Amino acid sequence: MDGVVLAIDTATDRVGVALGGAAGLAGLVEVGGGRRHAETLAPAIDWLCRTTGIDLSDVTAVAADVGPGLFTGMRVGLATATTLASALGVPTLPACSLDLIAMAVRHTGRRIEAILDARKGQLFHAAYVPVPGGVQRVVEPRVLSLDDLLADLAASVDERLCVGDGAVRHAEALSVVIRAELADAAVAAPSVATLVDLAGRGALAAGPLEPMYLRPPDAQINWETRRSASGVTS
Amino acid sequence: MTASTILGIETSCDETAAAVVRDGSDVLSSVVSSQIELHARFGGVVPEVASRAHLASINPVIDRALADAGLPAAAIDAIACTVGPGLIGALLVGLSAAKALALAWRVPLVGVNHHEAHLYAAFLEDPSLEFPLVVLLVSGGHTMIIEMAGHGRYRLLGRTIDDAAGEAYDKVARFLDLGYPGGPAIDRLARRGDPQAVAFPRAMMTREGSADTLDVSFSGLKTAVVNHARRHPGLDSADIAASFQAAVVDVLVTKTRRAAAQVGARGVVLAGGVAANSQLRADLAAACHADGLACFLPSPALCTDNAAMIAAVGWHRLHADGPSPLDIGAQPNLRLAFG
Ligand SMILES: [Zn+2]
Repeated sequence: MDGVVLAIDTATDRVGVALGGAAGLAGLVEVGGGRRHAETLAPAIDWLCRTTGIDLSDVTAVAADVGPGLFTGMRVGLATATTLASALGVPTLPACSLDLIAMAVRHTGRRIEAILDARKGQLFHAAYVPVPGGVQRVVEPRVLSLDDLLADLAASVDERLCVGDGAVRHAEALSVVIRAELADAAVAAPSVATLVDLAGRGALAAGPLEPMYLRPPDAQINWETRRSASGVTS
Repeated sequence: MTASTILGIETSCDETAAAVVRDGSDVLSSVVSSQIELHARFGGVVPEVASRAHLASINPVIDRALADAGLPAAAIDAIACTVGPGLIGALLVGLSAAKALALAWRVPLVGVNHHEAHLYAAFLEDPSLEFPLVVLLVSGGHTMIIEMAGHGRYRLLGRTIDDAAGEAYDKVARFLDLGYPGGPAIDRLARRGDPQAVAFPRAMMTREGSADTLDVSFSGLKTAVVNHARRHPGLDSADIAASFQAAVVDVLVTKTRRAAAQVGARGVVLAGGVAANSQLRADLAAACHADGLACFLPSPALCTDNAAMIAAVGWHRLHADGPSPLDIGAQPNLRLAFG
């Protein structure tokens, strides 16, 4: 696409901002480790614009990682991206965090298992097969326990490439169950470089930045459990 | 002070709000999107539910506030946003949007204390209030009696040592099965009850020794209500509600009156969500009249959470202290700076 894309990723404990377009990457900032998304993101955007000489008014689209991921961090990125796009009068380009980490390892012959830590003993998972120029989902994004994921993966004998912070964390358990290769920790989190690249190549469709939570709030789960236990059906 | 038009943003609890206010008191628009119905079935505000709703509402609410004000974005001179106290995930949604607007429009951002904003709700309707004032700030989260000696000059005179007044209302309402939020439900029910039916305790009211305290306590009252109702199952819940409310209001009015006398206040201001309570408004007005004090009761829409008060205090803070840095974070436990 023509123009300049501002890409924002705060779906994990990393904060990423990039500027780029069809001509390639103009610059990026990635800050890892902390949970200070709100403190980091706006100054990072400001710094990157000044450093690359790109004014926010030059931006023609805002791309963002809509998750699944850590809820609070995700919302910082999505509130920022949606508000910026609205104020600048430009479209938003949503991307899925699991798609992004799968894209980063697409040059493999194996099926790709993208696995991100969902906290509370759960994982976000989707599966892909590499296709020319990208990846294709064969399992849609979902949230499940490690045991359920292992049982599911063990049902097939295909060779896999596991990627994501969830895969890194449970590497041992995964290697016992399936013939899996583990992608480097360096690509374990969605990268804003991948995001701005996809947007620059016109691979992302414009649309609202709807967060992909995949899991209802705990209170709602408890409330629904109580209701079904007490026999309320509607 | 230079003239300026400020966009206020508030997302600290369960209202998504945006407002445009000129020169700290001229409200051009005020939009509040309430989540009360979302939280009602849980009997209280659920942080994750609130944060999700804020994210879904924040941009439509901001757009409405600008449209209602009839102003283009270029007319906004600064963004004021609540940074605390409140729910961290909820605060971050509004703060992120506020920073994005400050970046895109190249205008200053000013982070605002939610409690201070409540104190300023009164100035939206009467900018000429004279200091020193005593402010009774009562909400679901806090109960404080504050001396306001001037703009930005506060002294904490008394506070709750346990439950906030609004919290006591919610707990008693839940016990009486009146739903959520408890304040309006009890206020309504109390109107057809007898406030003298049960003599519920008024804690910390006596001037024992030198402890002429302005602090209050409501947890014992809540327990007394529950125990009394269990022992007298036939009692009309309207009488319980009226008697409970009479005790709360009696304590708040007595302490506020004592505070005003102690500091030689010229007037009394009511603030916070519980300031919408009809009994509290009536009794405080009567007490002030008896004591020859000016009494200011902001209209209920300005007592509950709104963004006009955020823009109003933002205007004062911006001119007194300058803008906030872009790396300002949410401060869920932020306190008023008492001098
Ligand atoms: Zn409030």
